[in-house]
Amino acid sequence: MKAKQPNQDNQPEASREWTRRDLLVRGGQTAAVAGLAAGAAWYLHDPRGDAGLQLPEPIHLKDYFANVDFPVDRPRISVAWGALETIERMVQAAVEGLHPEGMKGFVSRGDVVLLKPNVGFDRGPELGATTNPMVVAAVARLCREAGARKVIVADNPIENPGACFAKSGIKTAAETAGASVMIHSNAHDAMVAVRDREPDPAKQEALGVWPIFWKPLKEADKVIGIAPVKDHNLCHASMAMKNWYGLLGGRRNQFHQAIHNIVSDLGFMMRPTLVIADGIRVMMRNGPTGGRLEDLAIGGVTGRPVVVASVDQLACDGWCFENLLGRDPAVLAYLDLAWEKFGHDPARLVARSWREYEQQGKIIEQDA
Amino acid sequence: MRITTVRILVQILMMALFLTFVFVTTFTHLDSAPALKFWVSKFLDIDPLIALATALSTHTLYKGLAWSLILLIPTLLLGRFFCNWICPFGTIHHFTGWIFNRRNAKQKIESNRYQHNHAVKYYVLVAFLVAAAFGSLQIGLLDPICLLHRSLTTALLPALNMPVAETFGDPKLHSFAWVTGFIVLVLVGMNLVIPRFFCRVLCPLGALLGVFSRFSLWRIERDPSKCTNCDTCLKNCEGACDPHTQLRKSECFVCFNCIEDCPHGSLSFAFLPAREHEVTWPEVPARRAALAGVAGLMFFPFTKLSGKSTRDFSARVIRPPGSVEEQEFLARCIKCEQCMRVCPTNVLQPAMLEAGVEGLWTPIMNYRMGHCQLNCTACGQVCPTGAIQRISVDEKLGLGPYAAQGPIRIGTAHYDFGRCLPWSKNLPCVVCEEVCPTSPKAIHSEYKKLLIREGKKQVFSATATTVTLADYPPPGEPVGELCTFRPNEFRGDQTTTYHVEIVHRNGISETHRIRANDSDTLLIGELDPTSGELVSGSSFARMPVRGTVAAVYTELQVPKIDTDLCIGCGICEKECPVAGDRRAVYVTAEGETRSQHYGSGDRNRSVRLLK
Repeated sequence: MKAKQPNQDNQPEASREWTRRDLLVRGGQTAAVAGLAAGAAWYLHDPRGDAGLQLPEPIHLKDYFANVDFPVDRPRISVAWGALETIERMVQAAVEGLHPEGMKGFVSRGDVVLLKPNVGFDRGPELGATTNPMVVAAVARLCREAGARKVIVADNPIENPGACFAKSGIKTAAETAGASVMIHSNAHDAMVAVRDREPDPAKQEALGVWPIFWKPLKEADKVIGIAPVKDHNLCHASMAMKNWYGLLGGRRNQFHQAIHNIVSDLGFMMRPTLVIADGIRVMMRNGPTGGRLEDLAIGGVTGRPVVVASVDQLACDGWCFENLLGRDPAVLAYLDLAWEKFGHDPARLVARSWREYEQQGKIIEQDA
Repeated sequence: MRITTVRILVQILMMALFLTFVFVTTFTHLDSAPALKFWVSKFLDIDPLIALATALSTHTLYKGLAWSLILLIPTLLLGRFFCNWICPFGTIHHFTGWIFNRRNAKQKIESNRYQHNHAVKYYVLVAFLVAAAFGSLQIGLLDPICLLHRSLTTALLPALNMPVAETFGDPKLHSFAWVTGFIVLVLVGMNLVIPRFFCRVLCPLGALLGVFSRFSLWRIERDPSKCTNCDTCLKNCEGACDPHTQLRKSECFVCFNCIEDCPHGSLSFAFLPAREHEVTWPEVPARRAALAGVAGLMFFPFTKLSGKSTRDFSARVIRPPGSVEEQEFLARCIKCEQCMRVCPTNVLQPAMLEAGVEGLWTPIMNYRMGHCQLNCTACGQVCPTGAIQRISVDEKLGLGPYAAQGPIRIGTAHYDFGRCLPWSKNLPCVVCEEVCPTSPKAIHSEYKKLLIREGKKQVFSATATTVTLADYPPPGEPVGELCTFRPNEFRGDQTTTYHVEIVHRNGISETHRIRANDSDTLLIGELDPTSGELVSGSSFARMPVRGTVAAVYTELQVPKIDTDLCIGCGICEKECPVAGDRRAVYVTAEGETRSQHYGSGDRNRSVRLLK
């Protein structure tokens, strides 16, 4: 129990004076400790005292369209009508309508592709609050067939991510189709610089530097947004552009104070390879959560299931808002803001309205 | 193989089983393998202290707790077999004592003699059981299985999770995790002072098993004719049961170390050995036990008289869906925190004193941490004592066969208008409405016109579709300065619009949406330059004259709550961007359905008349 006490009576007598060897060894030890301490202090010293104020360097999102060879005369919006039994064919037809090589035109052999569905809520697929799992599976399969090395399905839901991915059916559907689901953790976030300066409120800008679900975006070569078309209580609708909201981390809900600014900023931030709108079970009211079958309409006001693929998220949202939700796009203020923010960039292939494409014959509609 | 080797293997196996069960008690695991629900609580199910105490407090034996009869079999045959073969907390203490041992043989022998303080556990047991008989269940504070479950859930597993968050997701957060963590560290550390401190001195389960093992048919028996009184048998004695003399039957952990250590073969595990060679009953003076009983007896009125579970209830005590009424809840909850471990959103938190001292470490909802997910009833599936009932999602939401009784409400949301952005700060928001999961939504919004800051103005001049405004003059002065607005400050977007109200001299007023503005003039419509007809917007019905009062309003969606539809899930509170310690929308326990048929109904009827 007790530690052994040194026996003071038997302490050996000091036999000798210190020697030169003692001086070198013991003095050397003392000097080494002093030297290490001084070295560490020199290395760690923060003479200005502002190290506590240093922020990590924010990252910039890649242009996920940069390596796509997209002929300018091709259709920009591709609409595939079908039935609940032909979802896979509809997705394939929609993508093939855009590019003569189909998904191979967008995804190269060896690519890592990130699919971003809307998995925001712990709800079953029949309630239409999340992307239809069969659409996600079909896109994943097309990507694998096009030679993608890896297909990641990721979202940062409002509710528990594991529960949302399971309940929505997207986890099973994605994994069966050869994709892997990445569950969000705060450790996966990084600060992304949406613009290189402070956002300018006069220009209706909101996003400056903000945490984003970076791990899958970092790994990906291509990003495909797969958004259900839904009513939204504040923004009027949640479609392709608002879908990127699910990549944000942090207390992102404060952006509702400027929802149209933020949604257009998200479109500005993200240049996806492709967006796909799921117009199968369209939530017409009580959005974006819904909860009853009465909130839904198959194919929205058209009554026919539809999948829309587009390289222009702005026109895609306008088309869906008018043709599926049956509403006047004039109220969708973020479309105007998005046009002001990135419509001038010819590389973004953006039109002021989908009606321009209609006049140019750049909308293809087919049955699948 | 030596019997002690078999024991060590069994201990390792039991520890591994226990840790596996705790580890898989997560939403994801139970969702993918529902059969696990049968297994995850098994160590709690077989704990006879939980069975006995809840039987005393509720007069029933809940579901799986009948498994505790299984554990009585080895106890009544062999003694406190559980303590050194099965109990995972006992194994931790055993292992700690072994790995940190610095005592020599002589010191070990001295440290393993029976001490009178080893009787404390019997007083703890008596006090807890008496309190339980009156309806206040406190055994969970010290029951080793509850204690270990709790410590793993709130402190140890999250701590292990921290460095590997990138792979396994973020660790859960629990209020006062450090308290639970330190308690288990101190209890384990005490092994260095008194070996098996918790098991010998504090453990009420050990005490209960000690009482039962008085009836055991086998025990360690010393043959005095072979014994040389060398006391070597004490060297590795786990229970401090005095095998070197008359065996204290209720203290022996049946570890078999003494038999192996005896150099003379004088110890054996004997069937029906002589009564004269043993101390049959625990050494507990009756008057002291009675005093402990009085403590337990008085604990009940003292806690109930604080009123925290009745009239002075805390509205923060929001119990998980499926919870029984509060008094019944306190008679059932063993503070094992399985519910918190399985909760997918981290909303379930251990209470400190919110539910009164008897509600320490019971689960309450904290909507700053998470929310109650609509389609989830995981907490009730793992609750071993029925404090949270095993409800289905249909029952929780009032669907199908439960449509008549309606959804289970765990509380009601309220607005703090002083903090709400649209209500008090003229900012658009309604995140609460967005995330409200009921259909139709309990949170709804309406458009409301709110005067902007210094929004009272005076007309300077006007045309059919424009009006130029001046600041409202100070008292006594005829005309104010012309306004200095930011260009298009009032153009608005679709979530926020701006309006100007003109109050004509005759008292009639008209209001128009502002389409655009420059520094002092508002545009409300556009006229065709040639025909003079209105192309868009609106025009004044009556021309405003100079000096007329004009008011500039912003119109935005303000949220309201329909208490008939609110179920208290708290996602509105969790997602409210007014992120301080008091959100602009918050949920209280008022309106909870679990107390609608009980007592004064304080909690149930404060916000909603009888439904």
